[in-house]
Amino acid sequence: MLFAHGFGCDQNMWRYITPAFENDYRIVLFDYVGSGHSDLRAYDRTRYGTLGGYAEDLLDVCRALDLRNAIVVGHSVSGIVAVLAAKQEPHRFAQLVLIGPSPRYINDADYVGGFDRADIDGLLETMEKNYIGWANYLAPAIMANPERPELAGELTESFCSTDPVIARRFAEVTFLSDNRADLADVSVPSLILQCSADIIAPPEVGEYLHRHLPLSTLRVMSATGHCPHMSHPEETIREMKDYLSGKARAA
Amino acid sequence: MGKPALLDEGRVPPPATPDLLDRAPCGFLSFRDDGTIVHANATLGQLLGIPATDLVGQSFEKILTIPARIFYQTHFFPLIKLHGRAEEIYFTLRSHSGAPVHVLANAARTDVDGSPRIDCVMLRIHERQKYEQELLQAKKTAEAANASKMRFLSMVSHDLRTPLGAISGYADLLLLGVRGDVNEAQSHDLRRIKEVSHFLLGLLDDILTFARAEAGALTVSREPVTVDSVLSRAEAIVAVQFQRAGITYVREPGPAELTVSADPDRLQQVLLNLLGNASKFTPSGGKVSVHWSKEDHRVLIAVADSGRGIPAELLSKIFEPFVQVNREIDARKQKGIGLGLAISRELARAMGGDITVHSVVGEGSTFTVSLPAA
Repeated sequence: MLFAHGFGCDQNMWRYITPAFENDYRIVLFDYVGSGHSDLRAYDRTRYGTLGGYAEDLLDVCRALDLRNAIVVGHSVSGIVAVLAAKQEPHRFAQLVLIGPSPRYINDADYVGGFDRADIDGLLETMEKNYIGWANYLAPAIMANPERPELAGELTESFCSTDPVIARRFAEVTFLSDNRADLADVSVPSLILQCSADIIAPPEVGEYLHRHLPLSTLRVMSATGHCPHMSHPEETIREMKDYLSGKARAA
Repeated sequence: MGKPALLDEGRVPPPATPDLLDRAPCGFLSFRDDGTIVHANATLGQLLGIPATDLVGQSFEKILTIPARIFYQTHFFPLIKLHGRAEEIYFTLRSHSGAPVHVLANAARTDVDGSPRIDCVMLRIHERQKYEQELLQAKKTAEAANASKMRFLSMVSHDLRTPLGAISGYADLLLLGVRGDVNEAQSHDLRRIKEVSHFLLGLLDDILTFARAEAGALTVSREPVTVDSVLSRAEAIVAVQFQRAGITYVREPGPAELTVSADPDRLQQVLLNLLGNASKFTPSGGKVSVHWSKEDHRVLIAVADSGRGIPAELLSKIFEPFVQVNREIDARKQKGIGLGLAISRELARAMGGDITVHSVVGEGSTFTVSLPAA
């Protein structure tokens, strides 16, 4: 079972979920480049200029561990990253569990994504202001001191993304992405966990995904917000177990 | 001011000085993991233009602007859930009138009778927000200016290479006698043209490399390579410089099989630069020596000279671009524009290493390249 964290966080976010599965599954956790304790030198602006680069990271992990028939659990943007990876190498994946995914965040004609471009610009500004204090001091220190990993630890304590420039780029790539056209080609069955009152992935988005993603199951949770695996882990675990055991397949 | 608004008054004991909380010159609120506000003080109500009692039972997200809601869901909530606290978080609240209220928030997550609560104080920032905005803008402008400077440098140096190549090529043709015989004086001048073109080409290469490094576009390969082999190639090139300058060059015996993980061409470039500098700044009769060793997982290559040394106050500056310590003193001897050390350090860092310097005025300087052992 391979867990892929969402934007703004790192693999720590799965700590309330993984214990429920570790007896039955091999658990694989990782950080994207730029998050958690990843090696910042591995960041490649071109590769990570689209979500395809992040899907490559996911596939790299699969290849390195020779994973086949894996269950990918992807939160938020990683839901779509998992979809892209499954489209590219379907044999690696048995099932996808997508928590609060969205194929496009910005409204477009009849499509409701939930946001306007100005909202995303506002987010980038909020990020900049929150990152600016340490961005100029700590981040270069980390880049210059690969032998002092505890510096990265300090940043991870501040925010889970360890590099402000990468985090900003990740935000742009995430929130300006449009992967609606990729959905139809996915042959791996998936569970869409849709929260109530989730501003980032509103109910319309979950319904849209369910309509366009073949073999998908949509479950609307009573959990609110965008991080049910952190705020409502019991319900999240129950939904995942129901789906994986086949109970929720018909929904 | 009335009592602070509480959602389940039966369970939460009222604070000892309820008035103080309401009078405090900062907003205070307490909410559950799902965002439901269970407590808000009067000051927060005033900031937002909404009675504090009306805030209770609402979702915390409702009083945030949309960008702040995204930030809350992607950064703030995971942070406070995982680490139990968050400090100096900038948020924009949405007041009743729709006007944005900029605040700085500190929050802590605590258990109240088995039910986790997030307590959050919010300090309005008004003037500070304005100048932070200006600072941010100034930073962006400076970054854009620097980027365009680098683009300019890179474009100009690239465009100068072609005509320079032509100058050198035509000088070659003339030297070969293609346009007729050349006399001794003409041949001397033509060779000078070639030498100077070659020197200029080197400068342009430096500028291009530096511009690439600044743009983060420097590409280096990493492969196991022996220090001995790279050093030998560099020595073959600089040997004549040491000879001409009357400097004794000594390679101290080192472990011949010691390998580093590096780009052999880039490492050679770094060593050439350090040896070249040593030859320029060591007086005739002086000595330059190289030794290398392994410490833990790193290989250290040290180039030491018996030059005049670098004053302590300049040590931190010598790796900055366009800085030359002895510019005034050695104006005539100077060849270059002060990019060598800046480039060398960028290259070393790109290979996962670094360059450090130790210097004593009157005794000499030692530059040490550290690289990961292969």
